[in-house]
Amino acid sequence: MPADTRRPTARIHEGAARTPVSRPRRTTRQRMPSPVRALVLTAFLLFFAVPVLWLVLAATKTDDQLVRGNPLSFGSWSALRHNWDALTAYQSDAIFLWLRNSAVYSSLALVITLAVTIPAGYALAMTEFRGRRPLLVATLVVMLMPNATLVVPLFLEINAVHLVGSTWSVVLPYSFYPFGVYLTYIYFSTAVPKELLAAARIDGCSEFGAFRRIALPLAAPVIALVGFFSFVANWTNYFLPYVLLPESDQFPVQVGLGTLLSNVPQFNPTAGTLAVERPELALATLLAIIPVLVVFLFSQRFLVAGMLAGATKG
Amino acid sequence: MSILTIRGGRAGTHAARRRWWPGRAGHGFVAPYVVLLIAFGVVPTGYAIDFAFTDASGRFAGLSNFTAAAADFRFASAAAHVALYLLFWLVSLVVLVVGLALLLHNLAARGVGKALRFLYYLPGALAGAASVMVWLFMLDPTVSPAGFLLRALGLDTFGQVIAPGHLPFVLTAIAFWTGAGGWIVVMYGALNNISPELMEAARIDGAGPWQIARRVQIPLLRKWIVYMVILAFAVGAQLFVEPQLLSQASNGVAGRDYSLNQLSYDFAFQNNDLGTAAAVSVVLLVVTLAVAVVFVVKSGFFDAG
Amino acid sequence: MTVKVRADGARRSGKGRSRAALMALSGVLALSAVAACGGHDGGGARGGTTGAQGDFKQAPQSDGPLTIWVDATRLAAAKLYQKTHPTVKLNIVSYDGDADGSHYLQTKVSLFNRTRKGWPDVVFSTQNNETSWAVPAGFTAPLNKGLIAQSALSGWAHGAGDPCTVNGTLYCLRNDLAQTVLWYNDSLMKKWGYQVPATWEDYEALGKKVATEHPGYLVGSAGDNFTPEIYMWASKCGANQITGPKAVTVNTTSANCSRMATLLDTLVKNRTMSKSSVFSSDFDKNQAGKILMLPGPSWFGGALFEGTFKTPKGQVAVAPMPQWSGDPTPTVGNVGGGTWLLSAHSAHLKAATDFLTWVTTANDYQGQVAPGYPAYAPAAKVWLANQASSHYYANDIAAPLQAAAGQVWSGWGYGQFSQESIWAATVTPGMTGGKPIVSLLPAWQKAIVNYARSDGYQVKVGP
Repeated sequence: MPADTRRPTARIHEGAARTPVSRPRRTTRQRMPSPVRALVLTAFLLFFAVPVLWLVLAATKTDDQLVRGNPLSFGSWSALRHNWDALTAYQSDAIFLWLRNSAVYSSLALVITLAVTIPAGYALAMTEFRGRRPLLVATLVVMLMPNATLVVPLFLEINAVHLVGSTWSVVLPYSFYPFGVYLTYIYFSTAVPKELLAAARIDGCSEFGAFRRIALPLAAPVIALVGFFSFVANWTNYFLPYVLLPESDQFPVQVGLGTLLSNVPQFNPTAGTLAVERPELALATLLAIIPVLVVFLFSQRFLVAGMLAGATKG
Repeated sequence: MSILTIRGGRAGTHAARRRWWPGRAGHGFVAPYVVLLIAFGVVPTGYAIDFAFTDASGRFAGLSNFTAAAADFRFASAAAHVALYLLFWLVSLVVLVVGLALLLHNLAARGVGKALRFLYYLPGALAGAASVMVWLFMLDPTVSPAGFLLRALGLDTFGQVIAPGHLPFVLTAIAFWTGAGGWIVVMYGALNNISPELMEAARIDGAGPWQIARRVQIPLLRKWIVYMVILAFAVGAQLFVEPQLLSQASNGVAGRDYSLNQLSYDFAFQNNDLGTAAAVSVVLLVVTLAVAVVFVVKSGFFDAG
Repeated sequence: MTVKVRADGARRSGKGRSRAALMALSGVLALSAVAACGGHDGGGARGGTTGAQGDFKQAPQSDGPLTIWVDATRLAAAKLYQKTHPTVKLNIVSYDGDADGSHYLQTKVSLFNRTRKGWPDVVFSTQNNETSWAVPAGFTAPLNKGLIAQSALSGWAHGAGDPCTVNGTLYCLRNDLAQTVLWYNDSLMKKWGYQVPATWEDYEALGKKVATEHPGYLVGSAGDNFTPEIYMWASKCGANQITGPKAVTVNTTSANCSRMATLLDTLVKNRTMSKSSVFSSDFDKNQAGKILMLPGPSWFGGALFEGTFKTPKGQVAVAPMPQWSGDPTPTVGNVGGGTWLLSAHSAHLKAATDFLTWVTTANDYQGQVAPGYPAYAPAAKVWLANQASSHYYANDIAAPLQAAAGQVWSGWGYGQFSQESIWAATVTPGMTGGKPIVSLLPAWQKAIVNYARSDGYQVKVGP
């Protein structure tokens, strides 16, 4: 029964809050990995990583090697160099322009998202106020609405305020990130004991002071989580900028990749002879995902840092 | 509307909290979000719902858009496709994501766990055009690194791999490949959130890893799992990207008009018929909401604390 | 919906709250409905403006840059124009050229129609069927009603304007042709002592011969989306008889269709007809080196043989498409070819028309630079001479290509629904699974009828 499991949660927090240290994790965990476990983890490792490895290698090949060579072989440095030259020559450095656009849109949206989402999720989880539940419901409802249908209304809305074609026409919709509000909401409601805040308030903290001094330092993991997911979602968003941005030099890299793809003869036989080759597309793809991977590596420490560990220190 | 679950047994603390946290503070914290929610969530959704009930000249059309959608020759098969896909997708997601997160969490070597999480996540960074190319090659036995596996299954050409009967598996594999890593990270973080003392206590009581997972860890992940299921159901019901990219990779042989959302997209942008497109979306929304309600009610998802 | 109450003590407050929530939610929805209604006033008509043909009214003309949308390949054309016409202000935007069902142009135009602004002045599209939606949407300007002189328009190849013509009015200019011919490997033909087939009967006989004498070699491929256009169109199969702006007659089971389907089946069965798409990795890896003949459009030469397959110089040759013996006039199919559209909303019609005329007719571009066979006949001559000077082909490709340019069967139209994707989704999986194409013809017909109806076509089935 769900109701039964919730009470222990509360108690865990209390217990943890009282006994801050002593974690016998290391000793108890050091057991030999069972072969089955190793096998499962390896199988999934191959499933997830081999296609990516293939893509990395694809960027080092010629189109011919891509089809005729061993799928998991390295091509040559000269082919990589050639692909690089061909890619950067495409509409004279368009790829860098796209990457820059993506960086601008995603970063601006990231800042707004965090500034808006974290307090909202916090308030939804830790405070009672009129309209809390309707807000949760409305958030869930709009999150479940199929996106393809929302694009046209969004376009008309953005047009009504004369923002079509501007940077804000994508940044503002990006900044609305209900998924992040829920992540924050669940995080605070499961991981941060209310007693901490009660103590802060007794100490005379204002509402905002309690949030800033107590909740925010504890929120590092969820800030990382929301920041990371929102950054990735915005970086990889295709459809919204595709519809909202009229000029090709405003495209973010995902839409740019789509343009490249439509110039690969194997995907679009009518492309003609000035076409893009598949290894170039692979290389462009790799350039496009590097920022995401860097952000992931940077935030992974926080993502899984042991959320409770933070709470107990507070 | 029973999304609004009732919080149990906390009336006392509730009253106490009211004193400390008057509504105003909460409103201050959520105000900027509410502005964005209305501007980019509620208004477009309302607009879309409005579309679903009006005809091309803007007059109220009753349910005619809905009947038009249902009467379309692709509707029934698309609905069946989505239902079958949802089954595969949800089962694989819940079982494998939770399972893999538990396995990773129990791993003794921290470095290996960290590396694996990163590698599992990798495909999540790929989207759109990249995936089209990757899957075109992965699914073609003549050039795929997994070609030997596909041939072992009796599939010698790309055409055989993407035969209509195989699509639910193929699409689930693509969706899982891109989507699972992010959820594994979330679940892993949530597992780290469980007090080691509690685990230790269970261990002292003689529970093995399996029992700890079943009795302690999984129940404590409940809210996260519910959230994942609700979202995964919504995402699965809105199936679009995977068949669309398969369609692109196969030059239209497989995946066109496969899902309801693709159908909605076709109505909107090919037939310039926003009303019917919105009707399909509203149907999807209602179904997803119904499922969300069930999960939310069963789990006390909206309870604060 | 049932309200499930978990804790008795909280029943009352719970109910109250859910009611409040419901009210709040409906309030929010009402608010959004008001906002939505507000949108109507500004937007005018909802379903895209339906401009009746012929009532073209010029927008107020003004100076200012000419906005041109082109795909990456046609970017060269726009840039060349800018270079040779430095005084014209151009705003060149590259997009995906509406390739492969992206519907980018249609999506954007329908949005611009709502906001009443934003349309480009001139657009290149890789699709031939843009007029099927662009004319009802009021986007394209009629070109032969005063904008371009009839004398200039007569330079286009016979039938080239078919995809652009709606009810006798020309709404776009054809960029290039994609008439089908028979590509073949001249070295192999000579080495094995084969005659290039002039009829489909000879073609089939040669296919049977190749199957026994040189197994593994190919006389064609039926695995493409283009199969209906290369084979069925050339065979005068009436699968796509567009009889009016929103009317189509579909008949895929006639003798003209089944004779070609049977031929394909025979050759698929003896493995001289590939089941893989010529654009697939599979084909490229295992079959591209074994092409004896390949019926296909004019652009196969440069894009496929020279570009993708890297077939060495001096091997590839062109012959006229085979014909059915007894057919009075030779007919060929057509696979693509781009079009240029002029916006009816353009405020720079003069500059736009100048550009449009230049880009479709000028030898500087069409004759020297363009990758495809120009639709404008004088430019095509220059283009062919240019091709000949490269000495890539084993024979003179000019005569068969020029002849085929005027032989595209006009019974196959350019509807809004894509015959390529219908074939790909209905016939190709069945063929891959081993079913004869003849047995799939009824399913093909049913699918065409369904798609045509859902696009609002009046469908007539049968001859």
